[in-house]
Amino acid sequence: MKKLSFLTACLMFSAGVLAAAADQISVDKPYVRLLPPGAQTTGAFMVIRNSADKDVKLVKADNPASRVTELHTHLNEGGVMKMRPVAAIEIKAKGEALLQPGGLHIMLIDLKAPLKEGDIVPITLGFDDGSSKKVDAKVLKAAPEAGMSHHQH
Amino acid sequence: MSERILLAIAAALAAAVLGLALFWQPELPERPLPAPAALSGGDFTLLAANGPFSLHDLRGKVVLLYFGYTYCPDICPTSLAATAEGLKQLTPAEQAKVAMVFISVDPERDTPARLKEYAEFFHPAMLGVTGTPESLAEIARRYGVFYARQPVATAGGDYVVDHSADTYVVDAAGKLVGKIAHATPPDQVVLAIRKYLNQP
Repeated sequence: MKKLSFLTACLMFSAGVLAAAADQISVDKPYVRLLPPGAQTTGAFMVIRNSADKDVKLVKADNPASRVTELHTHLNEGGVMKMRPVAAIEIKAKGEALLQPGGLHIMLIDLKAPLKEGDIVPITLGFDDGSSKKVDAKVLKAAPEAGMSHHQH
Repeated sequence: MSERILLAIAAALAAAVLGLALFWQPELPERPLPAPAALSGGDFTLLAANGPFSLHDLRGKVVLLYFGYTYCPDICPTSLAATAEGLKQLTPAEQAKVAMVFISVDPERDTPARLKEYAEFFHPAMLGVTGTPESLAEIARRYGVFYARQPVATAGGDYVVDHSADTYVVDAAGKLVGKIAHATPPDQVVLAIRKYLNQP
């Protein structure tokens, strides 16, 4: 009996230690921006929070609606906006990463079919420890009202 | 006696200092002038879905010009949506005196028909136009717009277009008068438009 409880404790302990990055991640207000019919690419935005004590890196994303999914950012150089792919998006320990228009975003490239307002795009986020998390992002014409503005720096 | 000489020397020195202060005009170091404001703006003719469009067709209205491209998944939609929302917040009388034109600097991919669909998605009165690479470059130079095609290692398409993300404001007389910065929220866009609408 004692052995069993010891074993249970061990299991629980290891579960705590080996928790996947994805388990410590929560995602708020995920959405995909609705673009005009015929648009081939669009962006997905969200707030990714990390409740763990160590940094986590988002290293890839995937979704069934587009042929390619990439992590991108924008650089504003003297009023000129430059969009560039990034290898990873870091989410600090006990911190958050803000994916929003004009900055970091998940880019859905080469859409297989036009998206309609209200569609749900399941996006799978892949982290640097190999774990992943699926979020359902709704297709919206404009950013969700609450929650985005007060996160701005 | 020596005191007097000292005093005289002191007086002479004081006079010299005063003289220098009054009459010495050191040559000022050459100061680089700020880039000459040679942004002449001015008229241009491009192509819309229903034929040639000239800026002077909109004489009498405040015109908002945005330079971008429809493959732009984020920056252009952000700017255009904010501007469109600002336009919608104007009174009908004010709306009648404002126009919005989206100029594609990616004529290789953006046809006038595609631009019409794209611009009208944001606002039914928004006009989408483009032209030859040469005419676009010439207009961009006059308006101080920067854009550059960049071969970027992205799996989607072969290139992205870096571009100025500000909205350029042309007054009712056709003169380039200002800019509205990228990501200006709609209520600020309204204030900016009213500022130019109410200019004498």
